[in-house]
Amino acid sequence: MMYDAIVVGGRCAGASTALLLARQGHRVLLVDRSSFPSDVISTHFLWPHGMSYLNRWGLLEQVTDVTPTYTTIDIVNDGITLSGSVPPELLREYFRDLHGDDSGVVGSYASVRRRVLDQILVEAAAKAGAEVRTGFTVRELITEDGRVVGVRGRAADGRTYEERARVVIGADGRNSFVARALDLPKFDERPRCTFAYWSYWSGFEPGRGQIHRRGRLGGAVVPTNFGQNMVLAWGPSEWSREFRADVPGNYQRALDFISPELGEAVRGGTREERIYGTLDQSGFLRPLHGPGWVLVGDAQTAKDQCTAIGITHAFRDAELVSAALHGWLAGETALDEAMAAYEGRRRSQNAAAYHDYVCTLAEMRPYRHDELQLFVALRGNQEETDRFIATHGDVAPVSEFFQASNLFLLNDAAKESSADYAVFDDFAATSRMYQQNPFA
Amino acid sequence: MPHQGADTVTTTELHQRDDGELIEEILRAARSGDVEAMARTAAEVSEMTRNWAGHIPWDDLADLDPSGADGELARVVADLTEMWEPAHLRNPVDPDEEYALDKNAYDFYRPAGRDLLARTEDFYGWVEARRRTETWQYSRVLEAAPDSVAQITNDLGKRTRGINFNSQDYLSFNTHPAIREAAARAMRDYGPHSAGSPMVLGNTRISDELEVALGELTGLEHVTLFPTGWAAGFGAIVGLVRQSDHVVIDRLAHSCLQQGARAATRNVVRYEHLNVEAVRQHLADIRSHDSRNGILVVTDGLFSVDADWPDLVTLQRVCREHDATLLVDVAHDLGSMGPGGTGVLGMQDLLGQVDIAMGAFSKTFCSNGGFVASNSPALKQYIKMFGGSHFFSNALSPVQTAVVREAARIIRSPEGDELRARLFTAIHALRDELTGRGLTCMGEPSPIVPLLIGNEKLARTANRLLFDRGVLAFMVEFPVTPTGSSRFRLQVQAGHRPEEAREAARIIEGAIADSRAYLSSAFGSAPR
Repeated sequence: MMYDAIVVGGRCAGASTALLLARQGHRVLLVDRSSFPSDVISTHFLWPHGMSYLNRWGLLEQVTDVTPTYTTIDIVNDGITLSGSVPPELLREYFRDLHGDDSGVVGSYASVRRRVLDQILVEAAAKAGAEVRTGFTVRELITEDGRVVGVRGRAADGRTYEERARVVIGADGRNSFVARALDLPKFDERPRCTFAYWSYWSGFEPGRGQIHRRGRLGGAVVPTNFGQNMVLAWGPSEWSREFRADVPGNYQRALDFISPELGEAVRGGTREERIYGTLDQSGFLRPLHGPGWVLVGDAQTAKDQCTAIGITHAFRDAELVSAALHGWLAGETALDEAMAAYEGRRRSQNAAAYHDYVCTLAEMRPYRHDELQLFVALRGNQEETDRFIATHGDVAPVSEFFQASNLFLLNDAAKESSADYAVFDDFAATSRMYQQNPFA
Repeated sequence: MPHQGADTVTTTELHQRDDGELIEEILRAARSGDVEAMARTAAEVSEMTRNWAGHIPWDDLADLDPSGADGELARVVADLTEMWEPAHLRNPVDPDEEYALDKNAYDFYRPAGRDLLARTEDFYGWVEARRRTETWQYSRVLEAAPDSVAQITNDLGKRTRGINFNSQDYLSFNTHPAIREAAARAMRDYGPHSAGSPMVLGNTRISDELEVALGELTGLEHVTLFPTGWAAGFGAIVGLVRQSDHVVIDRLAHSCLQQGARAATRNVVRYEHLNVEAVRQHLADIRSHDSRNGILVVTDGLFSVDADWPDLVTLQRVCREHDATLLVDVAHDLGSMGPGGTGVLGMQDLLGQVDIAMGAFSKTFCSNGGFVASNSPALKQYIKMFGGSHFFSNALSPVQTAVVREAARIIRSPEGDELRARLFTAIHALRDELTGRGLTCMGEPSPIVPLLIGNEKLARTANRLLFDRGVLAFMVEFPVTPTGSSRFRLQVQAGHRPEEAREAARIIEGAIADSRAYLSSAFGSAPR
């Protein structure tokens, strides 16, 4: 049997792509080497546009039935708290610009354990008519005349199968087998990144998501499934070796440093699982498409976890690529044209600016004086705080917020002064202290 | 209260060693060729990591050839090592270049500390890094007159000669014999110095004649001269607007207008570029709660980094409907385009019909200086008194005034039409060649040709290459453009031959392609 599309990788990018293509009546085979439900390294975080995608696909309720949600997040930088939401009109503008329609916008956030989320997506793909094979490891891409025409792999029963399709979609993450088999180069590499360690805690209730930064360390606490909270600590990769020497001790030490309140909550709470970690976070781009293949999600652009945007971007890619491929599979557009449209969206000026934004943030340099002053200036200016949060989460373009005339106006409109914040007391000494590796 | 999931989570070992430690142990076993130990340890690695690292054959490690003959063992070792070793150790970068290319000027806007002198050092360190890596596009100097080809030196003392899109002299007046003669005559008659404020005794009879000429060109007869264009924009706004008044300003209007607005009032609204409907809404909004105070709506005519212009007819009407006043900055278009050199105002049949126009002489009129024009003699006297940059500056020099007067004469003569025709032939040649090479020229055909680049690193690197390849172009980035939206601003002159323009386009394309390869960047320049 000849499929229209084979999707390699059945998680956020892959299952959603398979779901959307199958719903449009295409014959889709979805394969993943693992079985579901199962977990994978992830921030679990869904920004409001991520939640909106789920809503557009009719899956939001299934997720929110078992996952706590909230509509305000706290971003705390060196003790300066910004609380806000992503404004609905910016969300609608985002969907209109990128997808041409703004239906289904919701303003909430959630952190979904991947054993929950991926299972929902895979089941939805199957329900939509995609053929789903789990425990299927792709071993080889079949090529003919330089064009990818299918995959060869080992199924759960241990036997080798060969399947063919008009296009093979690599949705298999930053360590993508599809990309490796094609020997694809990496572009725009940003090697400096974070190390991140997290676990699941019960016994306290943060209420909503909090993201903290202090010096070169970051931390987050978010309510997730099973009545637990995910508590994540991260820092610059240069410090990862020393951190790893005592993972539980340094995890607590990091949280205490980032936010004493968060450290205290964790000390009084119960850890429900082991501590997980990753350093595999450096940023890069791969070519997006070629003869018979196209990449989505982390496989096409990998970047650091520090803005927790991976799942949301995977959903975005799924809508973009399925719309492009549908045009071609339905005979409405040429493949080149369809892929050029996808590439235009994914390699645009805005995409470059956001990639730079995340990768620079991931270097985890202490916030500069001017950056912290900007956060102070934003306090009490809810409209601009919301726009900053929308920019941080890649809803609004970086260029719209970080524009000279806007920043000068923010300055002028400031309601608070730096006098209220301890970090400004002896800024030079504090900055020097921040450069010391606390785990050494 | 968090919802409870239907399932409970499968219990995982609470005190299980973390994945980093396990992977180190796998790597130790690999070094002694103990594939059994590798497989045993791999079984302890979390599901999180095993599913993340789908490229590692976690379940098949025992089947690896311990001799390493087929290279598989080495590949697994390399892949595992990559996951747990900081990536920057593998990819060393030149720290100077990284610093120079990563930051932007805004990172230094709010320095720390009470020592105003010492706290400028941080910014200076960045400037030095940009200089060392030859990516600092500012502070270049001319070695001769800035013709269509120019010879320049950068601030490291490095010289180059190239096709010049880096000078503002749209009608090539700087080398025009009549302009030079006018300058020489004024020098002879009045000397180099105006020796006073225009409010006192700084003006000459030439100044009066110039005001009349500008009045005829714009259709707005009451004209005030300023020593620079910046002073005109800033002075017009701070002269008119008080703290309780409002300014509604295009997001991309010129810096002198933005700063004037901020200096005049805290009630500043920035509207989406060119969006007249947004202006209407802002005005209605302001008028719904403030019927007492003034509103100044501010826009450029031809925008100097996007090369587009607003629908001024509608904008002026919307202003009148809300008792707001319109100020249009015609610095880049007056003289260089439109019927008889009347600029965007003439192109939209608005001569004499906008509330206030202001302009600068430095783009087309071959000199420093600026002006404010309106139909109101009262406004003129008011701005002279309260726009501080008029009263409290020395007047334009007699030479400058004479040059601008002569320029205004030529602009309105048949020769002006001829020069503008030559200018637009060069503009079309440049835009067509760039577009034909797949590059993006923004805006409309005008003396400003903005070539979109986007990413700052790419623009800074391309700028470095262009310097050595014989094209002089100004790269604009933040704070002139928003971050992530940098571009080359190519300014065309009537003296550019079409083949020069085409040659420059070829060189520019090559420099951009080489920079993209140098940075190994896959990003394009499409805006969204």
